[in-house]
Amino acid sequence: MLRSERSTLRRFLALYAFLTLALVLLVSVFYYRSEERIMLLRRKAQVADYAADQIKRLRRLHEHFPRERTYPRDPRFRSAIYDLEHVQIFSTMRNNVVDFRRDIYRHDGVIHFVKLLDSYYLGAKYLFIEIPDDRTWFWTTLGKTALGAGVALFFLALAGLYLARLFLSPMRRSIELLDRFIKDTTHELNTPLMTILANVEGLDPSALDARQRKKLERIDLAARTVSTLYDDLKYVTLESERPARDTEFNLKELIEKRILFFETMFRAKNLELHTDLRPVVIHADRRLIARLVDNLLSNAVKYNRRGGSIEITLRPGELSIRDSGRGIPPEALREIFDRYARFDESEGGFGLGLDIVRRIAQRYGLKLSLDSEPGKGTEVRVMWKDVES
Amino acid sequence: MRRIVFLLLVFIGFGMILSAKTTIFDRNCVSCHRRKGVSLRRTFMNALLIYSGEKNMKAGLKYFLRHPSKETSVMGEEYFRTHRLKAPTTLTDSELDAALDTYWQRYKVIGNLR
Ligand code: HEC
Repeated sequence: MLRSERSTLRRFLALYAFLTLALVLLVSVFYYRSEERIMLLRRKAQVADYAADQIKRLRRLHEHFPRERTYPRDPRFRSAIYDLEHVQIFSTMRNNVVDFRRDIYRHDGVIHFVKLLDSYYLGAKYLFIEIPDDRTWFWTTLGKTALGAGVALFFLALAGLYLARLFLSPMRRSIELLDRFIKDTTHELNTPLMTILANVEGLDPSALDARQRKKLERIDLAARTVSTLYDDLKYVTLESERPARDTEFNLKELIEKRILFFETMFRAKNLELHTDLRPVVIHADRRLIARLVDNLLSNAVKYNRRGGSIEITLRPGELSIRDSGRGIPPEALREIFDRYARFDESEGGFGLGLDIVRRIAQRYGLKLSLDSEPGKGTEVRVMWKDVES
Repeated sequence: MRRIVFLLLVFIGFGMILSAKTTIFDRNCVSCHRRKGVSLRRTFMNALLIYSGEKNMKAGLKYFLRHPSKETSVMGEEYFRTHRLKAPTTLTDSELDAALDTYWQRYKVIGNLR
């Protein structure tokens, strides 16, 4: 599966998961609430009887107060009375956190039923009847709710997967088509390209006059440009999926070879090359590091001015390539490593270069830094942890 | 000497009890109610039945004592068939507040139930 496809799928699934979760949660809460209401309504009839009994006793106490001072108690329930100003007059309740606005509610292991008195015996406007909350009800309801939610989530997840496939299939088909096309084309390009390069190299420039030599050089340059492009395409379509074949090698030698390869291009743009390379041995896949170096060199050439310079420095733990081009505007710096981003539309290319650099750097845990001063040039530094130092 | 001190103490104690007993409530409300044979306990319980809370009761009674009327009385129709309405109080505002505070404090139900 491709990166873009995967991220689209991930985004879709995240949204879907969020929405289904929210829906299931909402339904669960709703179900739980309604179950609670039904249970409370069932208890209400019973508790209302208790309240009527208690009010009768309160009335008797009111008439005999203060000769009689004992608050009426009942083994079936606990109770409390509050006055109009919500001040407690007396309570035998275990839980005295009360709510005056509701008529029946559960709270912390008890059920409170609230009865408003018509005449305020002993000043009581509110009579609370407290009975213990039936815990078994709570657990069975919670279990039922959780089971329902789980089953619903399961089916919704299945539906989500089905939808995701449905939703992705046209996109996948077009991406596969494009991919296959690029792969085939890349493959077909290889042989003619190699033929051109081998034949150009096979020619003896000294046997040609100056004009012919110039033309040959141009052919060579064009062939090499296509060749790097071919390598990039091959990396993007094929190599990145191939497991890396890491070996120990001398980076200095590799860079020198790549410089040699780019020589024609340097010359075509009349670039002055300064190198300061120390031998550095690294452990990586030679071809991948060559792609990285090629892309950095190719950028240094591409964005350089005619007659400019390129400075290449290699130290243990750091490779720096500095050009004297027009630099990159600061606002473009941030997205420079993105695929298909070309900070300068005047230059050709697919914009694959820095994306490839980034991917290879990521693979080996290399640090990339890009310093650019508009008008002066750009320095790209690749840093890694050197094992020897 | 010791006897004098003892007598003095008894005197002071007696005086304190007396002065405590003679609040504005005792002087004004209790004496008249005793005279008229209207139990302050009964009026309190009747008032509680209507006014419920402390602030509400004090405010309600204050208004009633200033502007008595059969319609707003807590005594009920039965009472007024044989008795007359009381006259408006002559106490000042602060005296009336103090009297009502004492009244509530002495007759309240809150804190007196077991
Ligand atoms: C002049 C005599 C008199 C005085 C002074 C007096 N009362 Fe009364 N009071 C009565 C009588 C008589 C009634 C019953 C008839 C009525 O309610 O009008 C009454 C009724 C009441 C009631 C029942 C109220 C109601 O709504 O009917 C209360 C409570 C009360 N008195 C408290 C007090 C308090 C407190 C004071 C002191 C600030 C006080 N009274 C001073 C004579 C008095």
